[in-house]
Amino acid sequence: MPDGVVLRGLRVEGPQGVLVQGVDLDVLPGRIHVLVGASGSGKTLSARSLLGMVDARPGVTQATLEVTWGDQTWRPYEGLDLNSRRARAVAERRFRPLRGSILGYLPQDARRSLDPLWTVGRQLRAALALREQPHDDGPAAWLARAGFPQPERVEPLYPHELSGGMAQRASIALALARGSRFLLADEPTTGLDPTVQEAILQELLALRDQEGVGLLFITHDLRIVPRLADRLYVMHAGSLVEDLPGDQLDQLTSQPARALWQATARIAGGVLG
Amino acid sequence: MNLSGAVGLAVMSAVVVAWGVSLVSGYDVVADVNPEHMNLGPASAHWLGTDHLGRDVAWRLVTASEVFVGPGLFACLLALLLGVPAGAWAGWVGGLGAELVRYVFTVIASLPRFVLVLLVCAIYGSSVWTLAAAAAVAYSPAIAEAVYSRIATFRGREFVLAAEAHGVHWARILGWHLLWVNGKTLIARHALQLFAYFLLVETTLSYIGALEAGAGFGVPEPTPSWGNMIAFEWGVRHGNQWATWAPALAIWVVILGALLLADGLAEGDHA
Repeated sequence: MPDGVVLRGLRVEGPQGVLVQGVDLDVLPGRIHVLVGASGSGKTLSARSLLGMVDARPGVTQATLEVTWGDQTWRPYEGLDLNSRRARAVAERRFRPLRGSILGYLPQDARRSLDPLWTVGRQLRAALALREQPHDDGPAAWLARAGFPQPERVEPLYPHELSGGMAQRASIALALARGSRFLLADEPTTGLDPTVQEAILQELLALRDQEGVGLLFITHDLRIVPRLADRLYVMHAGSLVEDLPGDQLDQLTSQPARALWQATARIAGGVLG
Repeated sequence: MNLSGAVGLAVMSAVVVAWGVSLVSGYDVVADVNPEHMNLGPASAHWLGTDHLGRDVAWRLVTASEVFVGPGLFACLLALLLGVPAGAWAGWVGGLGAELVRYVFTVIASLPRFVLVLLVCAIYGSSVWTLAAAAAVAYSPAIAEAVYSRIATFRGREFVLAAEAHGVHWARILGWHLLWVNGKTLIARHALQLFAYFLLVETTLSYIGALEAGAGFGVPEPTPSWGNMIAFEWGVRHGNQWATWAPALAIWVVILGALLLADGLAEGDHA
């Protein structure tokens, strides 16, 4: 079986009813999969279901998830009646070996995703200590890999001393140091100014091309999709309405996807004249 | 460290030094009775003078640290053992389990603390260790609630989520990142407040116990406590007034010192 993350038939339920239904996602190594959709369309829930970290109750009630890396395959939701409390505990145990070592997470607000009382260097050392296969590189090497020109100056800094872009780079370094093969990036460039956004995007492209990391990139900014996407998923109101290869983005057929696309074009046009 | 923290730390260090001196000195509270030296004022032989039995006030002041430092630390330890795990667990899991735990602590907290302590002493006797255990139980709801709200606030923070997503075991996130890295000053602060509270309770009960011999409260003579030292010298005519003022000032300074140190710790803390 080829390496990758394959999710089929995801259904997430909340206290008031179905939140996400019939979502199929793939994340393959060395590819960027972009998941777009309006706020509340279920993007984050779908991504978190890959980590078994859906907060809603009852939560994931249906899903087939297959994560393959090397000669190992995990099927964390397999054979569970996901409505029961016990099943959630079992799923939690099954997800633990996946989190971090196979599936990493890039948060939206990176600064708040670092322990506020630990320096960047210390957090990186903690991440390195969690690795299954030890690595000789120290924190500075990982920071350099995430695009810091002078990593040794970043190491002693606390999260509140970082700018948004630096914090996002530090998070990338953290995920790399932890040894994640696939990264789930939940709007990692939202809230950053355009030049920093551009730099972070470059960094993610470099991750794909140099480290062979597979990315699931969640965003509601369609403008960055053409540069980034090897594959595009569009979600609307809890279901997948579009699933296109990256070179066929002009073939958006569904109404929600077209509306999103046109709105993006109008905003970009309005700003740039 | 800020000014109040520094002052508090100095006072608490002095208390620990006094405790150590008292433990190694072998000062005998009974043998020191000397009718020839009674009611002396401060002098080089007796720094704070003597009481109406001729006992050295300075030595008794130092020796009295034995009845509150050890038991006070024990009270802190016991209250932390009761409050911290329960509060941390409730904050982490949330939901019905948390409500249940908090309810139990609310019931304890709804009894006035001093009444609870008096009740325990009336039933189980008034050794300082019983007193310490009672103060710890009476104080544990405050610690549990503080830890609960700290953990519950941090539970939903992005960095906890990120740690989970990076595969950090939940026990490590809770015990290390939240309780230790982000919660230790909060916990230390409450422990210091409990220490101050215990000193207040111990000296109060010893004072009452010395005035009302039948009540059986607190530390009995001849073992010195700052509380019974005040009561013992109260109303002695032509006595050495330092024999009452010194323990009274000592109570005030040490309680203030503990609370100042707690405040000093609070300044660098955040939620």
